[in-house]
Amino acid sequence: MKLIRATKNRYHFRLTKWEKNLLVSVLKLYLRIPPAHQPLSKVARLPDQESSQSLLDEALAEQRAENKKQIQQWLADPRRFCESEKGLRLSLSPAEVEWLLQVLNDVRVGSWIFLGSPDERRPLQILNETTAPHLWAIEMADYFQTRLLEALEGERSA
Amino acid sequence: MDKCPRVSYFSAMVETATPELQPGIIQEEKDKSKSELEPGYLVICWNDPVNLMGYVTHVFQTVFGWARQKAEFHMLQVHEQGKSVLPRESMEKAEHYVHQLQKYSLHATMERDE
Repeated sequence: MKLIRATKNRYHFRLTKWEKNLLVSVLKLYLRIPPAHQPLSKVARLPDQESSQSLLDEALAEQRAENKKQIQQWLADPRRFCESEKGLRLSLSPAEVEWLLQVLNDVRVGSWIFLGSPDERRPLQILNETTAPHLWAIEMADYFQTRLLEALEGERSA
Repeated sequence: MDKCPRVSYFSAMVETATPELQPGIIQEEKDKSKSELEPGYLVICWNDPVNLMGYVTHVFQTVFGWARQKAEFHMLQVHEQGKSVLPRESMEKAEHYVHQLQKYSLHATMERDE
């Protein structure tokens, strides 16, 4: 997936059919982060913390349900990926880039949580048929996030 | 990009005194609202090793409107020290920022500045 042109309102990417299939597969994994996973505070010293937490959970749940619906609509559009001589073309608005980054990071972080949140002190011990799909999802989300971030960065420095 | 519009759940947090309340209780509610408006809350971003450094920088730039240099400074703090204290805000604004950061799946919380 490569940025071929950026204008004020659109980012135009070229990608292979193979990359398109990977992107579709990764997007279909949304949503991965478990509901009510993120605390509002680590120390329970906020006024009305319980109700604030539940309002935050509701707002995030609403947002994610909307994202899920948007992914289905986005993927269902037959003109989403246009055939060209050199592969497929994908045209994204800045808002779509932002939204895709959020969705891809949910897949990435959610897959990492499924693996038990490994880090330097507690690295992933076993690669097997259960853990491999999560690792694949992390790497694939990384691939597309990096392409999108490069496009944004190029635009900012231009 | 979403420029951080107010979401519906914040409006539910505003407490309104009703005429039935005793004067003392009303005063308490007013005091509480005042303390919630003071910038006594820290927005903190914690390190999740899975997040891309460029992504975290981008989110800070987008959510707070920071220049790249400032966003990178805080991203590196998160990466190297395990956390970074972002703005010090009123309770309502801190909640808003935590919501925005969590929308991007960053590990963010708010804590009272004591």
